[in-house]
Amino acid sequence: MNPAMRGPRRAAPLPGRRLPNVAMLAPAVAVLTLLFGGGLAGAVRQSLHPTIDGSGPPELSAWRSVLRDPAFADALRFSLQTTLLATALSAAAAVAVAAALRRRGALARLLVALPVPVPHLLVAVVAVLWLGPGGLAERAIGALPLPLVRDRAGLGVVLVYLYKETPFLVLLLLARMGRGLAQREEAAAVLGASRWQRLRWVVWPTIRAPLAGGALIVAAFVLGAFEVPLTVGPSHPPTLATFAYDQPRLDLVAGQARAAAALLVAAAASIVLAVAAVRLARDAGRG
Amino acid sequence: MPAVAERAWLGRAVAAVVGVVFAAPLAVLPVQAVADQWRAPALLPQRLGTRGLQVAIGGDAGGALVNSLEVAVATTTAALLLGWPAARVLGDRRLRRPTPVLVLLAMPLLVPAYATGTGLTEWFLRLGLADGRLGLVLAHLTVVLPYVVLVLASGFGERLAELEEMASTTGLGPVRRLALVTLPAVRPTLAAAGLLGFLVSWSQYGLSLAVGGGLPMLPIVLLPFVGTDPQAAAALSLLFLAPAVAALTVAARAARQPR
Repeated sequence: MNPAMRGPRRAAPLPGRRLPNVAMLAPAVAVLTLLFGGGLAGAVRQSLHPTIDGSGPPELSAWRSVLRDPAFADALRFSLQTTLLATALSAAAAVAVAAALRRRGALARLLVALPVPVPHLLVAVVAVLWLGPGGLAERAIGALPLPLVRDRAGLGVVLVYLYKETPFLVLLLLARMGRGLAQREEAAAVLGASRWQRLRWVVWPTIRAPLAGGALIVAAFVLGAFEVPLTVGPSHPPTLATFAYDQPRLDLVAGQARAAAALLVAAAASIVLAVAAVRLARDAGRG
Repeated sequence: MPAVAERAWLGRAVAAVVGVVFAAPLAVLPVQAVADQWRAPALLPQRLGTRGLQVAIGGDAGGALVNSLEVAVATTTAALLLGWPAARVLGDRRLRRPTPVLVLLAMPLLVPAYATGTGLTEWFLRLGLADGRLGLVLAHLTVVLPYVVLVLASGFGERLAELEEMASTTGLGPVRRLALVTLPAVRPTLAAAGLLGFLVSWSQYGLSLAVGGGLPMLPIVLLPFVGTDPQAAAALSLLFLAPAVAALTVAARAARQPR
């Protein structure tokens, strides 16, 4: 039937509108609920059954042993430390780079954006080739002032994330720093706003939301990822992810349960970080 | 005005330095990949050759490349099909309270993938899905689907709905409306969503390690080479990078097509 002949019911003929919202959301929501919910439920179940085949009544012994393990405390501290450092430094660098590039042409933006599609693991490989013992940096300038690959302080890990995440945040910032912002800044300047006032009252409100959102994505990734610490991080302290990765080999019976418990702590830490970031962004918006 | 000219020059220099700082380190990969001999302290390789590429294409690594490609394509396709209707609802702002859906989309991106993967393995082992392609596609969907929905949603909205309404009034049927109006209008967003989905699956480490123990995937095969054979690691890295670059080119071209 010709939709135009149906009369005044405007919305009816459109493709998406024939189906109720619930039906349209259902495929994605059902798949995600099943997979993500199932994944979390599976991890919880594993953490409560510290036996080889995961049978037996649920018990908390794996949780107790993990939470009392000094190696776990080290891993938690090291993970949070690298996460906060990498995120804060990337965010600060991104603001500076975006400010330097906002009036530049496409080539400079393209060069800066190059690391964005490069997988984290590759950036870690590049870091080892440049900064590792006998790497290109040492050959070019002699000895490095401090070890950057597999160092206990995790500087190599932070450096890899700084290189990989800064461009990602720069792209988010540049997307907001278009002509509209320049016009508003000009208007503020005409009205007598100083450079600092323009930064505080015109630029910052524009970039705050994408910066906070991007930084949250970065932090969540750094906290849980482990190809980077596995490649350039120290063997001790581990991160939460590498701690979990090691458990099944260290303890054949309860290792899987201990790994699941450690990973659930990492998951909880990510969610706490997310809630804190959302709150912070909202408060800053009010202030 | 010399002061302005000087500042413009300085700005250009800063931009150039910043560009080089981010682009240059990657140049080591192609050199290392063909360096059959590159001993310290030499700044350039002593002997060039194809040993690294042979290691990369032969053995486990070649199969891993195919596995990674198949899983990434299948996951992205599934995510686009499953995600399109949901993105439509979110992009058109049809929900009065979209927060619960957005939280559900954000959660898998916040929780470490290795955690979700470890939990999924628990069920996949029972269902016979562990170590297989289907299991990996399902596991990758947990992170790829949210990204695809969130990016795709930004392509819909009031303007597109108005265009579609105009098409309806001129008598275009649903199929032709989709082909002639909707798809061309959202093509750049569709390309971006597909690209992001592909890259997220392609470079996924934690989920593949947790779920696909028996099926070699490229990132997992690559990592051990970093310490033992830098040349093979660099050659594999180039292979690892190739589809990302290709996908980026295709997406950029698709986005540039006239609407």
